[in-house]
Amino acid sequence: MIRLENVALRYGRGPEILQSVNLHIRPGSFHFLTGPSGAGKTSLLRLLFMSMHPTTGIIYVFGQNATRISPGKRAQLRRRVGIVFQDFRLLDHLTTWENVALPLRVIGKRISDYKEDVTDLLQWVGLGDRMYSFPSILSGGEKQRAAIARAVIGKPELLLADEPTGNVDPQMARRLLRLFIELNRLGTSVIIATHDYELMKQFNTPRLELQDGKLQIADKLR
Amino acid sequence: MRKSALQNSANPPLTDRAEFYAPARQTRAAAPIVPAGSVTGRSLTVVIAIMCFLACLTAGAVYLVNRSAAAWFEDIASEVTIQILPIENTNIDKRSTQVALFLARQPGISRVRPLSVKDAAGLLEPWLGKSAKALSALPVPRLIALEIDRSAPPDMQVLSANIENSFRGVVLDDHRHWQAQIRTVTRSLALGGIAVLVLVGAATTAIIVSATKSAMSSNREIVEVLHFVGATDTFIAREFEKHFLALGIRAGLFGAGAAAAVFLLMPIITQLVGGNAVTAAEIRRLVGSTSLDIPGYILLAIVLVVISALCMLTSRYGVYRILHSRH
Ligand SMILES: Nc1ncnc2c1ncn2[C@@H]1O[C@H](COP(=O)(O)OP(=O)(O)O)[C@@H](O)[C@H]1O
Ligand SMILES: [Mg+2]
Repeated sequence: MIRLENVALRYGRGPEILQSVNLHIRPGSFHFLTGPSGAGKTSLLRLLFMSMHPTTGIIYVFGQNATRISPGKRAQLRRRVGIVFQDFRLLDHLTTWENVALPLRVIGKRISDYKEDVTDLLQWVGLGDRMYSFPSILSGGEKQRAAIARAVIGKPELLLADEPTGNVDPQMARRLLRLFIELNRLGTSVIIATHDYELMKQFNTPRLELQDGKLQIADKLR
Repeated sequence: MRKSALQNSANPPLTDRAEFYAPARQTRAAAPIVPAGSVTGRSLTVVIAIMCFLACLTAGAVYLVNRSAAAWFEDIASEVTIQILPIENTNIDKRSTQVALFLARQPGISRVRPLSVKDAAGLLEPWLGKSAKALSALPVPRLIALEIDRSAPPDMQVLSANIENSFRGVVLDDHRHWQAQIRTVTRSLALGGIAVLVLVGAATTAIIVSATKSAMSSNREIVEVLHFVGATDTFIAREFEKHFLALGIRAGLFGAGAAAAVFLLMPIITQLVGGNAVTAAEIRRLVGSTSLDIPGYILLAIVLVVISALCMLTSRYGVYRILHSRH
């Protein structure tokens, strides 16, 4: 599904953030991506999401070489990937409901076809009473859940989440994790970047650990 | 599929505090993804409206001139004048009768109308005044107006040669000279008009290009998010061009409406600026009627459509260009 071959990354003339990373993400897998702050977790997710090119190496996304891809093709591939940004990236002039519906609107679906799906999902993540509020008045945790809802509304084959539990209390973190696990059971591959060990302890799954630019599969916690 | 699975799962909704269910706003009919206000402000509307106004005025004026030139043309082409010059020691009246009889026998002429001395005097009146003395003292040529049978017009060259061979001091004036002059004048006016239209179009394009640029940069964040959720460049361009099309139509209606009002009120305007009935008549003689007919108003509508399309297409092209330079 996703394959990285000898990928290296540096920003400008800075140090190498990633050094010859090799990685294969299989359909239906679930990974935590961990490592200290500044290790390059966000950078790696950006590469997987095709918003950056690696300095060297090749990335295949759904079998396509993502380093030479037309903008149109990239848009098509991104529809199969859901992403939750660390800083949410919600649009302030749209309501929570409209933000969550955006991926469906963008692919030209009619509002009558997804109206209920969006409402149901928002209720399910506990934003039923926030649907018609604007993001600017939402709390950090609420924004987080809205961003997650937007990432999963299109039933992506791959979900990338950057510190998705960074702004919520442990109890809410557990619930969001359950949402991700549920999605994974339904066939979505999931990669969650986090340094929340409490969270990782709750789900026994391989961890990809970034350290000094190297990526390795770490032991399961516990 | 996933929806039902989620609902059937063991997880209860994370909140169901019914007392907090107080929507700030009900679902709107698809709020624009790019806010209109961030794309097309009032000053842009005013500028485009002025552009459309100028374009409509120009198009309407060229149309009017062409229309009255065409009408003049018809009149001129269907009338030919014969001049019988006075020659000493001959009876001019007798000569004109002979010429008239000769003309009536020629093919392609539907009516022969000799003008009397009085008629000729009437034509000269603006220069000589009503003094009968002045007139009788002058050797005034006699005129015969010919109406051409438009279904089978005569060959003017042959007719002219025939007359000049048969009579002395008789000249045929088929107004060809005038026709050529009218044609030159209307053509130059039309060319000038087209030049103005091209300039207005170029200015509109330039304004929209720079407005698209600033709209794109003030909505950079939105464009980025749209890319993240899988929007194609076509989709993004459409979100912007919607606003530019609306701008074009709105501003165009103002501009074209104002221009239509000018044409409608032209007679009143000429009076207000100090003209009297005579001035109005003079203007009418020069450019024909100053008010547009139905095809004229349709022309204004076409200008409006062109301006709106120009706004839309220019912004589409602009968005594509900016997005491609970023990829
Ligand atoms: N846009 C950027 N330009 C320059 N350096 C960057 C940029 N983004 C991240 N970095 C650097 O790359 C390193 C890894 O950052 P990041 O991927 O955000 O790490 P993490 O998400 O693991 O905290 C950091 O040292 C950061 O300063
Ligand atoms: Mg990060």
